[in-house]
Formats: sequence, C-alpha cells, structure tokens
Amino acid sequence: MAVPLVEITLAGAIINASVHFVPVGGAPAAMATSTGIGTGTTQLAAGAGFTGLMAAAIMAAQKGIVLSNPIHLAIILLSGAVGSMIMLALTMLLGQLIYVFGVGVVPAADKCEKDPITGDYQKSYITPGTTGHAIPTVCFISGLIGAALGGIGGGLAYIALKQLGFASEVAGIIAVGFFFMNAVLASYNIGGTIEGFHDPKFKKMPNGIIASFIASLLTGVIVVGMSIGI
Amino acid sequence: MDPTLLVLGALALSGAAATVAGCAEDLESDVGSQSNPNSQVQLGPQMGNIHRYFNKAISGEPVSYGLYVAVAGAVAWALINMGLSVPIALVVGAGIAAFIHGAYAVSAYLGRIVGQSKNFGQPVYMDVVLSHLGPIVGHGFIAVFCMLIAAYLATSMLGNPFPLPLVALIFGITVGAIGSSTGDVHYGAEREYQKYPFGGGVPVANQGDIDIKAETGIRNGMDSSYFCSKLGGPLTGLTFGLTVFLGGWGDIIGEIVGGDLISKSVIAIIVGIIIVTITAYLNRVIEVYARKKYGPYTDR
Repeated sequence: MAVPLVEITLAGAIINASVHFVPVGGAPAAMATSTGIGTGTTQLAAGAGFTGLMAAAIMAAQKGIVLSNPIHLAIILLSGAVGSMIMLALTMLLGQLIYVFGVGVVPAADKCEKDPITGDYQKSYITPGTTGHAIPTVCFISGLIGAALGGIGGGLAYIALKQLGFASEVAGIIAVGFFFMNAVLASYNIGGTIEGFHDPKFKKMPNGIIASFIASLLTGVIVVGMSIGI
Repeated sequence: MDPTLLVLGALALSGAAATVAGCAEDLESDVGSQSNPNSQVQLGPQMGNIHRYFNKAISGEPVSYGLYVAVAGAVAWALINMGLSVPIALVVGAGIAAFIHGAYAVSAYLGRIVGQSKNFGQPVYMDVVLSHLGPIVGHGFIAVFCMLIAAYLATSMLGNPFPLPLVALIFGITVGAIGSSTGDVHYGAEREYQKYPFGGGVPVANQGDIDIKAETGIRNGMDSSYFCSKLGGPLTGLTFGLTVFLGGWGDIIGEIVGGDLISKSVIAIIVGIIIVTITAYLNRVIEVYARKKYGPYTDR
C-alpha cells in the first residue's frame, strides 16, 4: 500500500510541475497577441498528458509486463513520456506553420531579450502592442520537457492505481480525473499564461508542487481506502 | 495474415480517420466560432461591430468534444454489447452526439447573443441560427464518427486496454486541444482581422474590431469555414492524424525489428524520440525562415 501511495503523491507533483513548462498563451495567443500555444493551460496539458497516459497504458497491457519490475516500470513511464511529447511536438510544429504562413508573424518570446537556447534576439521581432507571438525554440524545448513530465506523471498515477488492484478501465478514469485535478491546481498557480521555463512566473512552481503534493497525498489515501473496500 | 500487417493497416486507417476528424473539428469550430477566438466575436458588439457570426462558446473545445465523443462512445459501446453490428452502433452513437451538439449550439447562441442585445444592440438573427446549424452539426458528426472509428480500432486492434467510451473521451479532449491550438489561430489571428495588413498579429488596441464584411456581402461563420479550410483545418487534421499514427508507429517498428519485450519497447521509445527531435529541428528551420523573410521591426 505504501508504494502506490508514494507513487500517486509523486505523480501529482510531477503533473503539476509539467504544466508549468508548457508554453500556453491562452486566448491572446490565439490572436497572435502573446507568445505560446493558443489555448488554455489545463486543456493543453491534459490533451498531451492523456495521450501519454494511453501510451503508458498500452505498454502496461503488453504480455510479459510486470508492474513490480523496475525496468518494466521505467519502460512504461518512458512510453508515456514519448507519447505525450509526440502529441505536443506536432501541435507546436503545425501551430508554428499557421503562425508563420497563415498569420505572418515571427516567433518571438517576450520574457527574454535573447533566446537562451539559440541566442537570437527577440524584442525587435515583437509587434508593437503585443507580448510576442508563436513558438520560439526556447518555448518549444520547454514544452517538450513539460510534455515528457506530463506523460511520466500520468503513467505513474495509472501504474499506482493498477498496483492497488483496480481494473484498467477504473484505473484509467481515475487517472484522468487525477490528472485534471493537478493540472487545474497548476493553472491556478500560473494564473493565465506562461512562456516556459524562462518566464518569471516559472519561479512560482514550488508553490504549485506543494499544493499538488498535499492534494495528491489526500487523493492517494482515499484511493487506497477504496482499493481495500473502505 | 501476418498480425503485424493487420495492426499496421488498423493504425493507418486509424490515422486517416483521425485526420478527417481533426479537420472537421476545426472547421466546425470556425463555423460556430468556438474556442479562444470566440472572445473576439463576443467583444465585437461592445466595440460597435454588429455581426452575423454564429457565437457558441459552449465551453473550451477539449471539454465539449470530450463530451460529444464520450456520449457517442458510450451509446455505441452499449449497442455493441446488446449485439448490434459495430458500424451501425458507431453511426447511431455519433448521431445521438450530433443531436446533443445541436441542442448545445442553439442554446449557447441564443444565450450569448441575447446577453449582448440590450446593452450593445446585437440582434438575434434567426436565419443565422437556422443556416449555420446544419454545417455545425454536420461537421461535428463527421468529426465524432471518425474519432469513434479511431477509438474502436484502438480498443479492438491496437492493444488499448481502456473501454471504448474512455478512449473516445480521451480522443475528444486531445482533438479539442489540438484544434484549439492550431487551426483556431488561423481563424482568430487572421480571418477575423483581415482588414488589417497581413503579419504582426493582433495588437491589444485592435481587439474586438473584427471584420463584419465578407468578400461579398456581410460575413458569417460559413465564410470563415471556407477560408480556414485552406490552411487551418487541414493542418489541424494533419496534427491529430500524425499524433495517432506516429504514436503507434514506434511500436510497429519495434515489432518488425523483433527481439524480446524490452528491446522492442526500447526501439519504440527511440523511434519516438527521433520523431520528436525531427519536429524540434523543423520548428527551428521555420523560425529561422520567418526571421529572415519578415525581419525585425525597424520603425518603433
């Protein structure tokens, strides 16, 4: 019982951290008025995280997989991370195509003078009256890290639920709800939009992780209680 | 037949269905003006732009599509377990979801427009409701039905351990997140603001000043769908289709290369990482192209 409880608690903290990495610009980004992906924090993180959760579940359902085997566990979590990264990478890449060829903007981050990865200057490419647009390299890489963590967090929660003896169907739906809970907590902590790990808002992440840690621990206790029939 | 070939065929069909679903989902959200760009349609009358757009932000796209596809999946799942043939069950499930979609669309339009009528003078156009409802429900039906096909293949052929309604829910949330992040940008940042020069995005001062005139006559949601079908819709479809296809492609490669479970799985993970690396490289290529092509602002 102790191991799944620890896994669930850690999974919640990881999911919360993952959301802080994903560059979401919300409604302003959909109008190319701010940097990032043009949708809501929770919804995008959930979209990517659930893709990773399904990839992890498919791997966990393979014949010969033993959930108590650490190597098998690592493979399941990595499968979740890769599934999630593929979804978000494609979303960012094809979104970038629309920004550049459909809207005609240059990818530019507002929260840094120079892209910390490529060294490109950003400010002079930002349209006056906006706070950046599209998905520059630093945001893309940050998004990939977030997606990987989201897939690992979702996968870990699913494995913990399976280890508690839940059927795949029940474990899946609880993991979906659990993911939403932690993504919403992260979204409250972010308060709207974030560009990625270079954004000053990213420094608020420890608060979000603590909140998710506590909420996930409580959820873990309830889920463990459910599994033993309380 | 070789089981790997069967899985490959199912994956290809699943990817193709997902591509059509993604495209139809984005075009439906353009006809009905859902998701983030809806904020501009909502803001339009307050800025003096009385419009004939449909206006139905029922909720965020991921949540609303999660609902429709999960309803369709649950109905289809029940009918399949009652002994009905799979194709008919999927059609009936998608049909019931289409009715629910239509009901939400009408109530959302009336609720949102009436809320703006008294203070900002935005009329409720009944002909807009009647003319747009067909394309909204029709595109929604195509999107939901194609996602159900992909979800059914995932559960029956591709080793997904979740039941059909749960896979359908996850696919609905994913397609909503993708449509909202990719295709809707074409609608929100370009189509709604075509009267401004191409490029540059939408400065805050221009927000709400949406186009109300079409190429001929007064603009409506179907004009937007026509425009977005040239770039936003297809790219949304491509994103979702590739997500479904490439997500399973690594497993196929692992299966073909063979070996024990661990080596097959590691190959699948490596293939996934290679795909992600290629996308990161392509993203950088597009970024460099845009910086060279459009250049910096020199007249600040």
